[in-house]
Amino acid sequence: MAAQPKIRIRGLVKQFETRRGTVTALDGIDLDVQEGEFACLVGPSGCGKTTLLRILAGLEQPTAGSIEVARGDPSRPLQAMVFQEQSVFPWMTVRRNIGYGLAMRRVPRAERERIVARYLRLVGLERFADAYPHQLSGGMKQRVSVARAFATDPEILLMDEPFAALDEQNKLLLAEELVRIWEGTRKTVLYVTHSIDEAIHLADRIVVFTASPGRLKAHFPVPIPRPRDLGTIRAHPAYPSIYQQVWKALRDEVLAARRRDEGAVAAGRR
Amino acid sequence: MSMTPEAEEHRTARAASPVPAGQDAPRAGTATGTVRTATGAASRPGRDGRRLLATHRDRLLSVLSPLALLLLWELLVRAGLLDARFFPPPTQVAGRFVEMVADGSLGQHVGISLLRVVLGFAAGAIPAIILGLTMGLFPLVRALLEPIVAALYPIPKIALLPLLLMVFGVGETFKIVTIALGCFTLVLVNTVAGVVNIDRIYVDVARNFGASRLDFYRTVAWPGALPMIFAGLKLGMGVSLLLIVAAEMIGARSGLGYLIWNSYQVWDMAAMYIGLVLLAFFGYLFTMALNELERIVLPWRSR
Repeated sequence: MAAQPKIRIRGLVKQFETRRGTVTALDGIDLDVQEGEFACLVGPSGCGKTTLLRILAGLEQPTAGSIEVARGDPSRPLQAMVFQEQSVFPWMTVRRNIGYGLAMRRVPRAERERIVARYLRLVGLERFADAYPHQLSGGMKQRVSVARAFATDPEILLMDEPFAALDEQNKLLLAEELVRIWEGTRKTVLYVTHSIDEAIHLADRIVVFTASPGRLKAHFPVPIPRPRDLGTIRAHPAYPSIYQQVWKALRDEVLAARRRDEGAVAAGRR
Repeated sequence: MSMTPEAEEHRTARAASPVPAGQDAPRAGTATGTVRTATGAASRPGRDGRRLLATHRDRLLSVLSPLALLLLWELLVRAGLLDARFFPPPTQVAGRFVEMVADGSLGQHVGISLLRVVLGFAAGAIPAIILGLTMGLFPLVRALLEPIVAALYPIPKIALLPLLLMVFGVGETFKIVTIALGCFTLVLVNTVAGVVNIDRIYVDVARNFGASRLDFYRTVAWPGALPMIFAGLKLGMGVSLLLIVAAEMIGARSGLGYLIWNSYQVWDMAAMYIGLVLLAFFGYLFTMALNELERIVLPWRSR
């Protein structure tokens, strides 16, 4: 992988000004993501993973550092994000929600309808094309959100714990679907998750963050071949050792985050 | 995609709901001669029928209770227990109603009041929505105007009647401006709140997908603020009725407010009650109309 990476992040710093002073969310991130790589970002809560995604999504400005992205086809959008919380527009039907990014890019109606129909089928919501979000379950809404991001055919897909609010079974089902759709497109993906299992299921590489302020602690490649079957992946011989390594790296950071939180609570009480 | 959608689960759950065990057993054994199949489903029409009867009964009761009240009123007056000078019996009010419809005076009062309300409502609500959206979208405009709005908002608009009377005289402008002012502040405050309180995530989604400023107004700000705008319109409608009555009582020679006040002064109590009933009727009608409009414009709201 000596070729130029798809995303090259160098010395990325993000600080927020709050009433209690400056908070450093990201403290010098260096990260390369290769073209077509599925990278999972794992770290304790509040370590800045979401902030990194939001910077890449153009929703935050970095305080310092650089991000270089090797553009492939400039007619395609650079990125699209799938948000953690419910982000499907309640005032639009499923069809219009999925077509939103396309409409914003002024894709002609006929082509837009064709693409939307394809993604409706891919996420299994054809029968709900004209339903409004309030008629859908949480899992269905997240499928709309995923379809909306894929529909614009972005070069990079940013996913911030997209299935975190779902129950375990639905989470597994959606992960299966995501793997299936992704394996057909091979987009570059940055995927934030709290779950080591989910990271191993999905990722080519797992990137572990330190506790706040966020830095990169370690990288773990996931050498499990694709296409992956999430039903049997836990039986793969590499699975336990990857899990142990990631957890070992993560555990200290979670403990550090806990000490920090406990300190903050104690300070608040004083 | 094998996941069962939740909406469908609900439907199937209802369709498959088992008939409560004790419900059929005793009756199946009785000698009523009812033919029953072995499946529980056979009992459903009967149960649905009973539910239907129940809703009919409720509807009937809700019609009967006001009628009973009118009847009671009539009887109490006839028995001499209620003073007919203050509480003319419903039959007398009805007679007066027919009279006023026939001589055209009632139609005139109703027509002019409705015209004033509609014009005043539109003159207040439309600029309020436009200004409210502007204030919601541009923090600079909001900072500039918010203190003024905050100062005007709590003033009961009835308190402005003398001032408005002075400025506009007793003509039509006075009444329309009064109503417009009352609606304006209510719709404005609600519209601003509607835009400002749009969930941050929808703003992020629009930005992430490269929405232009205009796209953002069209696809997020406007539809996102609409429910609150409707809430403002409904409040404004209520205040319009209040203000039309007040304005017509002090500065008019026509309209329902004038009818009520004048009937009191010439001691035509039956006519006064007609005015009151018509106000109730139009208040109800306007609310229904706005609710219906809301249902059409906002099909995406769960209710």
